[in-house]
Amino acid sequence: MKFLWEELRSAFPLIYQGNPYLLNVLWVTIRVAAISTVAAIVIGLPIGVTIGLGRFRGRRALQVFANASLGLPPVIAGLVLFLLFVPQGPLGSLQLVFTLKAVYIAQTVLALPYIVALTAAAIQGLPPGLLAQARVLGAGRGQLCVLALREAKVGVIAAVIAALGSTLSEVGAVVIVGGNVQGYDQTLASSVLQQVDSASYAGAIAIGLILMALILALLGVLTVLQQRQGGIGLRFRTPT
Amino acid sequence: MTRPRPGSDGRLLSADGLTAQRGGRDVVRDVSLELRAGEVVALLGPNGAGKSTLLDALSGVLVPSAGTVERHGRVAVALQTPDLARRSVLTNVTLGLSWWGVPREEREPRARAALGVLGADHLADRSALALSGGERRRVHLARAMAVRADILMLDEPFAGLDPESRASLLEDAVSALHSKTRATLVVVHDRAEAWALADRLLVLIDGRLVASGPPRDLLESPPTAQVARFLGFDGSLEQGGETLLTRPPHVALDPTGPLEARVTRAIGLEDGVRLELELDRGRLYTVAALPAPQPGDTVRVRVRGGARFASVAQEL
Repeated sequence: MKFLWEELRSAFPLIYQGNPYLLNVLWVTIRVAAISTVAAIVIGLPIGVTIGLGRFRGRRALQVFANASLGLPPVIAGLVLFLLFVPQGPLGSLQLVFTLKAVYIAQTVLALPYIVALTAAAIQGLPPGLLAQARVLGAGRGQLCVLALREAKVGVIAAVIAALGSTLSEVGAVVIVGGNVQGYDQTLASSVLQQVDSASYAGAIAIGLILMALILALLGVLTVLQQRQGGIGLRFRTPT
Repeated sequence: MTRPRPGSDGRLLSADGLTAQRGGRDVVRDVSLELRAGEVVALLGPNGAGKSTLLDALSGVLVPSAGTVERHGRVAVALQTPDLARRSVLTNVTLGLSWWGVPREEREPRARAALGVLGADHLADRSALALSGGERRRVHLARAMAVRADILMLDEPFAGLDPESRASLLEDAVSALHSKTRATLVVVHDRAEAWALADRLLVLIDGRLVASGPPRDLLESPPTAQVARFLGFDGSLEQGGETLLTRPPHVALDPTGPLEARVTRAIGLEDGVRLELELDRGRLYTVAALPAPQPGDTVRVRVRGGARFASVAQEL
């Protein structure tokens, strides 16, 4: 217990003194999370909406694939991407391995299933009469998509929360494709790994606390957005 | 946008030999009908008769497997389930107008007007999530009416409402649905709704259109015994080689009546008692005022009206 307390006491100065190394890792983490989540939303939302609203052949197979991808182990995703990106691999000419771009791609690949599968499920859970009514009153494809996304807002934001959470906390794929290069593509989560490896427990604790605070702040904002106008405003009166 | 002109003699929709399928099975068979501007037509039939399928085929939602449908104008449909977006009532109606293609500046006044016609203007700013079943139905109807379609089709607009809400909505809908330029087709399950709303009644049984005409005319002379039974002719009496089918108002307890009957069942109603009467050549039903005879009593009966059919036994 004494050991833990001492490491914790050593960790706090690292946080409030604005250690440049920590600030750099924090900035890389925010960039990776923002770019990967936005990329996953841009790619995944149309796919999720298509699966949720569509009545085409192969829709179910797509949904099974999206759901199964939720269980994709990050190290496996990282390994596959690494093998694609290494100079001898099919995409070797792009020279992506051990670059920040590879980290963005890996995090996007891992966040995408959350956006696709949870968006599709949220839309499929909407009352079917509403979308059918919109169709019979002449709603175009774009209007149907907007209606479905608005109505499934709670589920869609849950998908974004899950995706963002994944990009903030994932380690395996980032280390494999990015190399965990300090000061370049190292994120908060992957730097914890490095700090533990080098027995710098105070540093690991400081980074862990920053990571947890970042996750709480970002996902907290999204949760507030998610719950805004989400209910009918029932108030429960406490018995007097 | 030019408004499509109705066909000759005000026809807005005509269907000829329409057959429609669900799950590979013919649910609607060889239906021919017309809807004219200014009329409200009720489509009545038992559960599973194919009413909603016919409505889908007429509106264009379902492609018929045979026959043709000719529409002179745009069709708006209010589906059976009154599902609304999780937004305000006014936004729900304006959303319907945006789907329909109404210019933005016209949407709000038209939405408020439609809500007003259906007695729901006070709900405009309320969240759709906080509405009662009756209120949801009103908003659902207002959304379909606001678009001012040439042909309006409503699928069981009063389904699932309690008697008070239904009566109240029916009262408002009677005046709201009548328009000189629009044809309205209302699918109803309850005969009372059809009598209240419709200028003309279509009876669909087992996928076939078996009767069409003004409600009073159909009640006075139903074309077949099957239609008569469906319209509430539950009494039956063999007379001179014919079968007389009666509704309760046709049968009266009268001490000087020509027929003798025995009361076999008495069911209490709000304002009297429904009696089942057994006669030598049939069984009749009537509603008697209190105090009413009891089961086992012998009564005298007079029959006024009803519909005669030659061979009901074979037809039924």
